[in-house]
Amino acid sequence: MDDRRPGERPVSFLGPRVVAGVLIVGSIFLVYHALQIGRVAGYTVVGPSTFPLVVSIGLLILGVILAVRTTLLTDVELGRQVAEEEGVAHWPSAGLLMGVLVVYGLALDGFRIGPLDVPGLGYVVATSLFAPLAARVLGSEHLLRDLVVGVSLAVVVYVGFTQFLGVRLPAGVLGLLG
Amino acid sequence: MEVLGDLAGGFATALRPEYLLFAAVGVTLGTLVGVLPGIGPAVTVALLLPLTYNFDATGAFIMFAGIYYGGMYGGSTTSILLNTPGESASVVTTIEGFQMAKQGRGGAALATAAVGSFVAGTIGTLAITFLAPVIAQLARAFQPADYFALMVLAFVSVTALIGRSLLRGMISLFAGLFIGLIGIDAQTGQARYTFGVPQLLNGLDVVVVAIGLFAVGEALYAASRLRHDREEIVPVRGSLLMNRDEWKRSWKPWLRGAGIGFPIGSLPAGGAEIPTFLSYTIEKRLNPKAPWGKGAIEGVAGPEAANNAAFSGVLVPLLTLGIPTSATAAILLVAFQIYNLQPGPLLFTNSPELVWALIASLYIGNVMLLLLNLPLIRIWVKILSIPRPLLYGAILVFATLGVYSVANSLIDVLIMYVIGVVGFFMRRYDFPVGPMIIGVILGPLMEQQFRRALQISQGDLSIFVTRPISLVILLLAVAAMVLPQLPRLFGRGRRFSVGTGSED
Repeated sequence: MDDRRPGERPVSFLGPRVVAGVLIVGSIFLVYHALQIGRVAGYTVVGPSTFPLVVSIGLLILGVILAVRTTLLTDVELGRQVAEEEGVAHWPSAGLLMGVLVVYGLALDGFRIGPLDVPGLGYVVATSLFAPLAARVLGSEHLLRDLVVGVSLAVVVYVGFTQFLGVRLPAGVLGLLG
Repeated sequence: MEVLGDLAGGFATALRPEYLLFAAVGVTLGTLVGVLPGIGPAVTVALLLPLTYNFDATGAFIMFAGIYYGGMYGGSTTSILLNTPGESASVVTTIEGFQMAKQGRGGAALATAAVGSFVAGTIGTLAITFLAPVIAQLARAFQPADYFALMVLAFVSVTALIGRSLLRGMISLFAGLFIGLIGIDAQTGQARYTFGVPQLLNGLDVVVVAIGLFAVGEALYAASRLRHDREEIVPVRGSLLMNRDEWKRSWKPWLRGAGIGFPIGSLPAGGAEIPTFLSYTIEKRLNPKAPWGKGAIEGVAGPEAANNAAFSGVLVPLLTLGIPTSATAAILLVAFQIYNLQPGPLLFTNSPELVWALIASLYIGNVMLLLLNLPLIRIWVKILSIPRPLLYGAILVFATLGVYSVANSLIDVLIMYVIGVVGFFMRRYDFPVGPMIIGVILGPLMEQQFRRALQISQGDLSIFVTRPISLVILLLAVAAMVLPQLPRLFGRGRRFSVGTGSED
């Protein structure tokens, strides 16, 4: 392919190799699962396992091709792009944002794991806290402004959606007050 | 003519005040999200889907059509002033548009994009008006084998023509097909890929997948790059109007763009990216004297017209065959399903009022967009200066809200986050997102048609090549797969890189 003047820009294949590995392992698991899907009595030309087999075996083959293209016959263009991405990516931001997001999801209406029953904060409080926090993670340095925006966003959405659009949102701690 | 009568009926519905309001809300929202980098019409429609349960179908679709068109109009603003395409169909616009903005002709670039979009959008809508009923009529002869072949064609074209790598497109498509398989098999009642989790028995909601991939994936991706990417907003200086010379140089590219965009968009091979690249190349060849690379207005006028016309074109296979060829069209298909409407040849006979009101609203929406865009450009430009950290925070709030309001389910929200992480890595390693969404939505339909076809033929696989219609379509699919690879084999790969996701 496009491997004129190699070494001109750095290449990296670590990420796509991991993707290929995940695809291969995952699709073997999916092929196994497809084989477990029960046969159905009676006349069916195409049973319930045909498409799952086609899709999972297809994924397996594609995973193998990706593995080849990132090791033996490298796709230089992809390698360059990955290297460029790795050069500019700021992992802590993305990871932290994801963490904050999951906490936000859990805090909305609480959750239960076995005997543990955690009450939620409710939509308004959770959103008022999440928006400025997310902005902070994303590099904002205007805490007061972000708080104001977060609270307004939360209140407007909550009132608008529950009162005018008939969407149910968790009241949480505010519900206890009223 | 019968068509004109139907269209007049459509206008009678679409001009009712409440529907005009829906259209106005739609085009305003559409322009807004088109202007904002990072979210496009597909996410917006996906986010709004749960809210429309209370609306009547006609109103909801008029609004969605407005968002769809508005997104196209708005996308050009971001491309021209920020050098960041709002959606993938605006990538080409950045090349000349940003240069024009730097030279103080940003106003003219925005104007030629808006007027060109209006001209091409109207031509495209006219073409839908007359073409769609004809295709719907023809499509009545289609049997399951032909539908199966059409879906193969849609898969191949979405995968092979969009994005830079066939392999990565195929992986994205197959991953989508896998997601589509999760849940109970409608025909046999067997649970597939549910892994013993009861919440998975009903399958994954497409809204959850779409919002996760587009909104959360995009926000995470932006988060990882925010400290690196510095944006430069070019202020709009000088006149917002085009001068006489600019009009003269624009009108031919508009018409040519419309001529290129609509036919390609209306093939079940469509998408709006290819016509924009094609229009750019053709204008470059036809106008060798224009200052290419230094702000040639032809390079904005042509592609912008082409992408709007292609967007109208995409509605043809969607409405007449039930086959979406872009991510937004795929979400629109879901919207039809929510209202228990099956787009396809029978839609025109079963719900003529809805279809014609929708088509009429496209004309109305185009006029509204022209009125909305030209005088309000300065306001849209202000929106570009919303601080990015707050913008992405708000996108995540709305993504969570959109999924939460589907079923009040924490599991759905968490699944959506997981899919968002997948979307993040897909963006990072240049896997196109479009094929995945199309796979999720069309996969189950394809399996259904495949089974029906084989039931008719009693298990004889040759039905797909002995029926002339399906044979021709399958041959087209082979061509769509092979042709784009030829230039690469001869050492001239496509050199355009798509900066944003392949959402359109």
